[in-house]
Parts: sequence; structure tokens; C-alpha cells
Amino acid sequence: MTLSRILAKTVLWLMAALVLFPLLWTVLGAFKQTVDLLTPVPRLFFAPTLDNIIYVLSRQSVLQALINSVVVSCASVVIGLVLGLPAAYAVARYPSRWTEEIQFFVLSLRFLPPVATAIPLMVIWLNLGLYDSRLSLIITYSLMTISITIWLAIPGFQRVPKEIEEAARVDGYGAYAVFFRVALPVASRALIGALAFSFVLIWNEFLIALMLTTSEAKTMPIVASEMSQLGMNVPWGILNAAVILLSLPPVLLLGLLSSFLNALFSKNPNR
Amino acid sequence: MAEIVCHGVNKKYGAHEVIPNFDLRVAEHEFIVFLGPSGCGKSTILRMIAGLEAITGGEVSINGKIVNDLEPRDRGIAMVFQNYALYPHMTIYDNIAFGLRRLGVSAVEIDRRVGEVVDMLGLKPVIGNKPSELSGGQQQRVAIARAMIKTPEVFLFDEPLSNLDAKLRAQMRLEIARLHKNLKTTTVYVTHDQMEAMTLADRIVLLNAGRIEQVGTPEEIYARPASLFVAGFIGTPAMNLLPATVGENGTRLDGQGFSLPVTPGRYRLAEGQKVVFGLRPADLSRTSDAATAHALSGTVDMVEFHGDQVLVSFPLGAERISAFLPARHRPKEGDKVSFAYEAEAMHIFDAAAGHSLLHADN
Repeated sequence: MTLSRILAKTVLWLMAALVLFPLLWTVLGAFKQTVDLLTPVPRLFFAPTLDNIIYVLSRQSVLQALINSVVVSCASVVIGLVLGLPAAYAVARYPSRWTEEIQFFVLSLRFLPPVATAIPLMVIWLNLGLYDSRLSLIITYSLMTISITIWLAIPGFQRVPKEIEEAARVDGYGAYAVFFRVALPVASRALIGALAFSFVLIWNEFLIALMLTTSEAKTMPIVASEMSQLGMNVPWGILNAAVILLSLPPVLLLGLLSSFLNALFSKNPNR
Repeated sequence: MAEIVCHGVNKKYGAHEVIPNFDLRVAEHEFIVFLGPSGCGKSTILRMIAGLEAITGGEVSINGKIVNDLEPRDRGIAMVFQNYALYPHMTIYDNIAFGLRRLGVSAVEIDRRVGEVVDMLGLKPVIGNKPSELSGGQQQRVAIARAMIKTPEVFLFDEPLSNLDAKLRAQMRLEIARLHKNLKTTTVYVTHDQMEAMTLADRIVLLNAGRIEQVGTPEEIYARPASLFVAGFIGTPAMNLLPATVGENGTRLDGQGFSLPVTPGRYRLAEGQKVVFGLRPADLSRTSDAATAHALSGTVDMVEFHGDQVLVSFPLGAERISAFLPARHRPKEGDKVSFAYEAEAMHIFDAAAGHSLLHADN
């Protein structure tokens, strides 16, 4: 191995450590007692405890927030896909002089600072009597997921070779069947990215959730943040446990999606 | 089995006219090859027959039925694409069966027909694989299988072999020829490769800039090119083309470094007419008699080795003359040589208009 390769590998390992160490530290912190957390010298070895995890899971507010987060995130992602994918396909496959304008408009929705939209949204939902409900959150978030899905799915559909769709047309399929049975599965690699990105964005969304919920519809990020406001003593262990709980669903989702993708395109398992 | 008729077919993209006026009748069972340089509109015409491209004007009919506004699926066609266009997310079996499923064919029947086609094309071992796991040749066979299984009235091939390497291309060419011999399905095949066109076609349609230059059997196109374009396009190595002027009541051709007799009455020549005189390198043979009337002489400055044959060339005026000679008796560079030819091997074209000046009854 040459010197430059050793050097390159060292740099890569250092970068990886830089990214992974805080995550590892958070995981360790979730299993530490306060004594082990509040020492001037950080401890790598300690007597692990499940107290933090049990505390977090046993709180009614956490369970409620978890359900809210899952329902709201999943629903808005699904709505984003159902409405965004056909729009993206239409823009990608039937380009017109409006194509670029549509793409830019969709993206420009994301330029708006969330604070600017949060207050009017709050007023709207209050007037409609839907304030602090999952429905209002789902609708609000759907506006975001639709625009993200359109923006990210257009290049995905553009990369589907036109001939494949034409072959399906010659094989007798109409425009809708071509979309569902050919374009959608062939583009799925790229589309999964859109799905994952909008899920993570909604799952972690804080500001709008803070403005639109007070008790019933609170999501995980809100509840997790509230745990740091319990008093003068920051309950680090509990906070770490809450962060783990908050991070797990997106990680699980990404794992599921990538294995699904592998199954779709790679070797035949029966062989 | 079906006849295809194109009548006054016209294609415009906005104001840009790609195909001005295309007329062609493809007979039942015929294997027609559209040949031409890239951008000559051959694929566009094929796609208009397939229904993948709208027809701006004129009429296309398949089997006596005008299909201008019909969807591809209602035209009784099957198509093989240049990049195979297999469905990457389906197994080979599903790729082949996809079209039949749409037609509502029973699963048992699909199984039987897929099995038949797969056996014929030797795809049995890969039937459960995904397209990305197959070689280029296998993928192209799947594409052909997918087209065959619907027992279409018309086969359309859009440069099906151009993504394959030379050896595989020759092999697949043979398979396509054999397939057509067995199935006798009316076929339109697009290519820019004259070897494919020559070997496969019943008739070649040679296109240039959206217009038909010549329609004819491979032999007609090779032996009696109707225009300067056809003469230059067909034949490897390319035909020698020399500018000349008609002299002496149309019985001689004069050019830089040569003055040659012309068989009287064979060509429509007028004295003083500017023409281009063509000779295929293979029609030239070495002669020791430099005084013979039908011969060109010069000093060899290049010998290209081709295997059994060599391409020997020398400068003549501002042009070059090349001859395809047996490799065993080849001259060396610097040798003085004379190449003789048969009088009938002369091709003469009008220099301005490009059309052949050969009398039609010759």
C-alpha cells in the first residue's frame, strides 16, 4: 500500500469517527446514570442502567407524541407521494414551455422562512377549529412533502429511458398503466430518496409543530425538547434516551427501503 | 401478415420539416431495410409506422387499414429498440409475457408461448434473471422474444444491433435472417450499417435528409446506384469518384490525368456536361498493358493490408484512385501500376444534380 493510500484511508477513518462518535456518545449516554454523566472526566466504562429508557417510554406524553409523529409523518409523506409523483411525472415526461417555471415555483415554496408561514397558518387553523389537531398538521405538512416530492422526483422520472415506456405502449399499455407498471418501478431508486427525505424532514420538523400544537397533537421533537426544560438540572440521560427514540424510526425506515430496493433490482434469490 | 403503405407521409417539428413526402409500399412477407446516415429520418419514419410519433400529413396504412390515429397497440406491430428497452424491474419471463398479459391471455397459454419463444432463442437458462444480469446479446434476444411472442403482423426493428460488438452483431444478424425465413412476418428494419442492410434486406430504402434516394434490392443498389449519394454511401471501400467533363459527342470523359472512352448509347451524356465518374475499387484489376483503353495509371503511394485483399491507391490529378487487389500479387509503394476495368463498371453521375446518367434500359 502506498503512502498516499494510507494517508487517504486515515483521513477517511478520521472523518467517519468525527461523524459517528457523537452518535455513539449519545447512545452510551442513554444508558448512563446521572453520576456517570456529570463527571468532569468522561467515562467510557460504567454500570449501564435502563432507567432513562424506561422513564421516557413510560411517560404518557412520549407515547402520545410518538403516535402523533408516526401518523402525521406517514400521512403527509403518503399524500406527498400520491399528489407529487404524478405531477412530477407529467412535468418530466411532457415538457412544455411552463416546465421550468413549474419546477422553480415548486422549489420557491421552500424559500419562504417557516416562521413567516407558521403564524398565518395558526390563525387559519384556529378559525377553522382545527388548531392542535393531527389533521391540521397533516395538511400543513403535505404542502411541504408535495413540493419536495415533485422537486426530487422530476429528475428520477427524466432518467427513465423513454424507450422502455414506448416498449410498454407497443406492448399494449395505456398512459396510466405505463406510469404505474413501468415508470414508477423503474424510477423507484430515485423516488425512494424523495420519500426518505420528506419523511425525515417532517419527522424532525419543529417550528411549525410548535406553533400549531399545544397538547393533543404534539409531535416527538416538541416533547423531546420539553424534557430539557424540566428545571435547572438538565436530565442528560433522559434527554439522550429521548434522542435515541426520536432517531430510531427514520433509521429503521431507511433500512427497510434500501433492502426493498435491493430486492427489486438485484439478483434473483432463487438462483 | 400484412402490407404497409405509406402515402405522402410528412413530418414537421414546428416549422422544421424532417420528412417532406415519403411514399413506400412494403409487400407482405417482405424484409425492408431503411438505410441512411444518422439524422436522415429513417428512425422517425419507423416510429411513425409504429405510432410512437405523430404523423403531420399523409397516410400510413397497415393491412389495408389507415392507422394514422391508432395507438401502437392497435396497429398489430411489435418493435425492437436499439437499447433493448427491457423492463429492468421484471424477470426475463415477465418481460416476455408482459404484452400477452395485457391481452388477457390465460396463464397456461402464456406459459406455453413463452416456453416456445424462449426455446427458439436459447433463453431458457436466464428466464428467472433480471435484464441487468444478461449480456448485450442475450438482452437483444429477449427484446426479440418480446416482439415475437405477440405474433405481430409487422416487425419493426430500430437499429437493433448497433449496441453490440462486431462479432455478436454478425451472429445476431444471422439469427434475425433465420427468424424471418421461418416466420415470414413483414419487417421494417432501420440501420446505418450497410452490411446489415445488404445481408438482410429483400429491398433497401436508402434515405438522405428525409428523402428516398433509391429503393431496390441490395444488388440493384450496389450495381446500379441511382445517385451520387448512393454511390458514395454503399460499398466498402468507398467508390472512386472523379470529376470529369464529357467530350467528343459524348463518347469520352476527360478529367485531370485521364481521358477515357465511354460506351456509346449507354449513358445520357451531352458534350461539355460536368459529370462525376465512379469506379468501385473491386472492379479494378492490375494490368501490364498500360495502353488499354479502359485503364488508369499512376505511382502507388499507399498499400493498405486487409487480409486476403489489399487496398492499393495512387494520386490522380487532385483525387485518389484505390483498387482492391488480391494480397498475394500486390505492388509495392513507388511501383508504377495500371488498373484496368470493364466498360460496364463505369458509373457516371450528373455533377450538379447528382442523379445517375445510366440509361434505364441498361
